[in-house]
Amino acid sequence: MKLRIDPEAGPIFEQIVTGVKAAIARGALRPGEKLPSARALAEELRVNPNTVIRAFTELEREGITETRRGLGTFVREDVDQKALKRELLAAAARRYLEAARALGLGREEAARMLWEVEADAGDPGRA
Amino acid sequence: MLEIQDVHKRYLKTPALNGVSLHVPQGQVVGLLGLNGAGKTTLLKIVAGLLLPDRGEVRFLGAPPRRQRGKIVYLPEQNPWPESATPARVAALLAGADPGFDRARFQTLVEFLEVPARSFGQMSKGQRARANLALALARQAPLYLLDEPLAGIDLISRDRILGALVREWREDATLILSTHEIGEAEALFDRAVFLRDGRVVKDAPVEALREEGKSVVEVFKEVLA
Repeated sequence: MKLRIDPEAGPIFEQIVTGVKAAIARGALRPGEKLPSARALAEELRVNPNTVIRAFTELEREGITETRRGLGTFVREDVDQKALKRELLAAAARRYLEAARALGLGREEAARMLWEVEADAGDPGRA
Repeated sequence: MLEIQDVHKRYLKTPALNGVSLHVPQGQVVGLLGLNGAGKTTLLKIVAGLLLPDRGEVRFLGAPPRRQRGKIVYLPEQNPWPESATPARVAALLAGADPGFDRARFQTLVEFLEVPARSFGQMSKGQRARANLALALARQAPLYLLDEPLAGIDLISRDRILGALVREWREDATLILSTHEIGEAEALFDRAVFLRDGRVVKDAPVEALREEGKSVVEVFKEVLA
């Protein structure tokens, strides 16, 4: 599981929550798999251990992980990967729309721009 | 009237803005001056409604920026458009979204700024900056936020951009332009706001600075050194 923290992207505990969800959504973290310990993750990300604990608490509250006494934090077996994927996509879409609106585009134009970027990325003629 | 009241913002543990307050009357041209990392971009993003402050408040014409979207033109420092898009294509999209987009004005700006009919990906940095300015100024709005429109571009592009800002400026519009290279830009400003470590360290009408016998550049060195 690779997590990236962007100092400008809002609260860190939220970024950890989102990062874990994204790892589950793309299959990098599987149902039943153990998460790194809060201390290890805090060291790796160079953040306060309390921030990681707060993120883990939130993941547990949302029914994504569970704590097994003495063993650590695990992804729940019944985690709904598809629902997580939808949630993350919806959040990304909201951020994109927010940015597009600030630049003067409406929903329609933002959607069209998205199609064009997509076509662009798939064009083998481009370097 | 733009009111920025005691705005605070921090990233991780680093404070970016430490209690910034500014009252900008409609029609004022403000130079937001400071070194890299002073908080200029963060402040502009907050005024544009892209970031929310941790504390404090911003109101433009009586409402928070997110409720005034159509009235605020924001130009980020980095080209925000896809590499494959041409300025004409973006103009068509903007015209569909923003009733304030003036196609005739866009054409005038394209000619004056010598915007090439190429995709953004095939432009030099200066050309991209000119194209983005044409797109921004073609939108009729009461507030323009331009983040470092002069940074790292060639001298000719710089002259053109300053020329367009002087020539095409509407008296009733408010402009906040951030820059860390002031030189020629000072002829443009009514007011200079100096930001350091997320605080306003000096805020004065450019005229008052002139009366003291100082140029904005001199004050810049004095205040920020």
